[in-house]
Amino acid sequence: MKKNRTNISRVIARNVAEILTIGLVAFFIAPLILVLLNASKTNSQIITNALSLPTNWNTLIKNVVTIWNNPNLRYPQALISSTIVTFFSLSGITIFSAMAAWVLLRTRTKLSSAIFMMFVAAMVIPFQVVMFPLVKWFGVFSKFTGIPMLRSYFGIIVAYIGFGSSMSIFMFHGFMKSIPHEIEEAAYVDGCGKIKTFFYIVLPILKPIYVTILILNGIWIWNDFLLPMLVLGKGTPVQTLPLAVNNFAGAFLVSWDLMMTAILMALVPVVIFFLAAQKHIIKGMVEGSVK
Amino acid sequence: MKKPHNIFKKDPNRGLERDLRNQKLIFWLFLFPALFSFFMVQIIPFAIGIYYSFTNWSATAQLSIDWVGMKNYIESFKDFRFLYSTMITTIYTVLNIISVNVVAFFLAMLDTSKLKGRNIYRAGFFLPNIIGGIILGYIWQFIFNQFIPKAAAAIGFSYFSTHLMLGDVKTAVLAMVIVSTWQYAGYIMMIYVAALQNVPADLLEAAQIDGANAWHRFKNITIPMVMPAFTITMFMTLVNSFKQFDVNVSLTGGGPSTTFMGIAIKGTTLLAMHINETSSIYLNTAQARAKAIVFFLVIVSFSLLQVTLTKRKEVEL
Amino acid sequence: MKKLLVLLSLFMVFMSLTACAKKETIVITWKQNKPEIDAAVQAYAKAYEAETGIKVVATSCGGDSCNLGDMLKADYQAGTMPDIFPIDGIAAYNDWASIIADLSNEAWVQQTSVAYKVDGKTVGFPVAVEGWGMAYNKDLLDQAGIDPSTLNSYAGYVAAFEKLDGMKAELGIDSVVSMVAGTSMNWVTAHHNFNSLLSNGLAYGDLSVTNALLAGTVDQTRLDEYAKWVELLFNYADQTILTTGNYDAQVGAFLNQKAVFLHQGNWVDGNLTTATFKMAFAPHGSSAAVTDGIFVSPPAWYVVNKDSKHLQAVKDFLNYMVTSASGQKYMVTDAGMIPAFKNITLKPAGQLSQSVQAWVASGKVYSWDQYYFTDAFRTNTLGPIYDEFAQKKITLTEFEAQMTAAFIANKK
Repeated sequence: MKKNRTNISRVIARNVAEILTIGLVAFFIAPLILVLLNASKTNSQIITNALSLPTNWNTLIKNVVTIWNNPNLRYPQALISSTIVTFFSLSGITIFSAMAAWVLLRTRTKLSSAIFMMFVAAMVIPFQVVMFPLVKWFGVFSKFTGIPMLRSYFGIIVAYIGFGSSMSIFMFHGFMKSIPHEIEEAAYVDGCGKIKTFFYIVLPILKPIYVTILILNGIWIWNDFLLPMLVLGKGTPVQTLPLAVNNFAGAFLVSWDLMMTAILMALVPVVIFFLAAQKHIIKGMVEGSVK
Repeated sequence: MKKPHNIFKKDPNRGLERDLRNQKLIFWLFLFPALFSFFMVQIIPFAIGIYYSFTNWSATAQLSIDWVGMKNYIESFKDFRFLYSTMITTIYTVLNIISVNVVAFFLAMLDTSKLKGRNIYRAGFFLPNIIGGIILGYIWQFIFNQFIPKAAAAIGFSYFSTHLMLGDVKTAVLAMVIVSTWQYAGYIMMIYVAALQNVPADLLEAAQIDGANAWHRFKNITIPMVMPAFTITMFMTLVNSFKQFDVNVSLTGGGPSTTFMGIAIKGTTLLAMHINETSSIYLNTAQARAKAIVFFLVIVSFSLLQVTLTKRKEVEL
Repeated sequence: MKKLLVLLSLFMVFMSLTACAKKETIVITWKQNKPEIDAAVQAYAKAYEAETGIKVVATSCGGDSCNLGDMLKADYQAGTMPDIFPIDGIAAYNDWASIIADLSNEAWVQQTSVAYKVDGKTVGFPVAVEGWGMAYNKDLLDQAGIDPSTLNSYAGYVAAFEKLDGMKAELGIDSVVSMVAGTSMNWVTAHHNFNSLLSNGLAYGDLSVTNALLAGTVDQTRLDEYAKWVELLFNYADQTILTTGNYDAQVGAFLNQKAVFLHQGNWVDGNLTTATFKMAFAPHGSSAAVTDGIFVSPPAWYVVNKDSKHLQAVKDFLNYMVTSASGQKYMVTDAGMIPAFKNITLKPAGQLSQSVQAWVASGKVYSWDQYYFTDAFRTNTLGPIYDEFAQKKITLTEFEAQMTAAFIANKK
């Protein structure tokens, strides 16, 4: 009897929670729906009434084709460039940050604490402080060593690794603490070298964390405008997507229809990546590995 | 808490010198890539920036760069707009930290519960992070300036149909909190989700069998285990709120106007925007550097305090 | 995992070695500040290369999403300063003065009267001619029986506004004037409308009022007449657009015939291509006296980097733009600009641009003097005062008092 009552109340509670959640989600994606609606209208329609439903959904396809085929935009090339930059930056950030966080955590010396604090403190630095000195330094470095840092893939990828490592190291460090020493010691006793221990034991346990880090950094890098503008430059051979579509925002005339469409087009890979990566953030693998 | 454990302790079976060399080698090998990139784009430019803050550098084709000592710093502290920006940014930060973390944690709890369609909800909460720049401003300005007044009139909530939120400084700050929560909660939610996933299910089950109810389980198991995440998320929301720039520029543009110390000024110019204006509008790039460094020191102090406090409560296995 | 690491490092090495191959042809870099005409700019760059064999790399950066000043600073720091770039006034000139070339002997200098001159040297090529006044919807004025030629003094506008305001329902408008004063639009009040105080009614280039204000001396009569004009505009404007409207809202109201007047310049022609009514410019009514003219000037000038590797090619490029058919077509037909050169006879398509040309032809023009005041002063000191006034947080008297105090505090 008591069981039935608590079962029913649980079912009701769950349904209420479902409805509330749907409401919340609607609030969160409502502006995105606005983007979708407006990407399917012409510019004058958008200015007249941003909330109106599109009269002709084919406008969306027309806009996409316009953007894709525009010879000045070189959208397909920008897409490839963005993908290359994002992929290598993410790989770099994730792997190198995990490596750094692990040795900093497991080596209890004053030096390692100091280095860790330095990484964390750098999260506080506002980008405006380093903006111009960064460009100047890259220019000077390129001249002295011959390695092109500006207008090159190498430069922008190093830049993203540099900027993304602080937060990632901070996160890895925090979550690595909850990995019991016993696991690593067991591996060591079994004959695993430190490097093997890290790559084959520690990293897999951290899967939810590093997938999270991949997603968090990926979103920011994929949509970033300022750093590519400084390091890659506008109108140069290597352009990322935000650089390529920036001209839609004119000084007086903004092509809202094309901008909204460009945002939608940038959204698609992100959503796909997110949905695919999600399933790796699954329930605790810690207890599994202990057993 | 157990005594800190050095996994690199020497093993007599492997040779003392080899171990010492290995230990150091791996430490630096593993650290090098991240450290190199970090030095290239953060430390060195920051150091250059510190140097320039003591000069009259303008980043343009000036004929000579002269040392001016503490002049930029002294003038920063005399600048009443800098003072105002600091004040309003602090208020905004406090509101934002609470708002973002409460919403994000709530979303994370929803997300790790047994609701159907969680994966889609999670994507939905996270997507706002994607929209930035002028589109963000355009959409939310439309919502605040046109949609809300019309909706309020339809419901009969007359205050909001005649008073635009973006037209008054107090409500404009609230509007910024709403937009930045909308944009950022999903991001923080991901961190909480990762942490909640790490809470061992068998511990929770054991507690339930022992008779602990949902609230007790939450308070005594979940929250302590999620503490490392709290340290991270509190720190990140603190820092990101203080550094807020994009939402500020695109939503309010630094306005609306208000009167401070008898002079009309732009009322929601947060610190990052103020520093940017010092460089781009007041054309005083060197002073902007000085202000940015002061800004940096202030945030570092606050966050050091916060991290020390929350770290004490973390549980290390 | 290890394989990925190896791949990663190999790739980075590879990428760093494959720098962009540099060709031996002459390449000149041109930066301009209106992204919306980028298509026309790129087309002209290609045409130029086809006709002369010299490659032009053109980049557009401007508006809210790309700050040209910051981009130029970044370029300078990186060592990639462009060969041609725009300046809009004395502050920008001073930033780059040490690398700006003297263009006094160029052929195009003879064809224009509005080149940028400093200390007797010609240094700036006028990008275009722009102008603003009070843009009016001729059809609606006809319907209301108002003659535009009466719109050149404060009294004339008071009469017209009152009449139009009484006929709102009949004309189908929401407000008489589409005006903005909000923070992100304060360039309309503190840069443009402010200029009425400085130069309305004075001979072109007469800086007497400007210099007096820079010295902290305020002519209270002139200020009072000007303040009443501001109040008039604010009172007859749509309050939502006035306090929080953005550019599209302001121009949109005029485009959709919800307002009879628009406080903007001829650059809005690009936003009004779908307009179905006749329009033109009328003078501002910021004085009791008649002020029969509108404000005209180049908005920016191209300057040349004297450290350019191909200085002569760059100078030739500017001359070519003025003398060749493709250059003229680019400036007027494709980019829709009013040319600043006597020899160009093409006319832009926009109604407001043609109105500006008509005013210029009749010699009834006033100068743009607002750039003698710093950007910071206009945007951050004056702008909020207009904003407070528009929100009715301060009275007319307080507005005048705060403006006066601002000028006195600004005294150099």
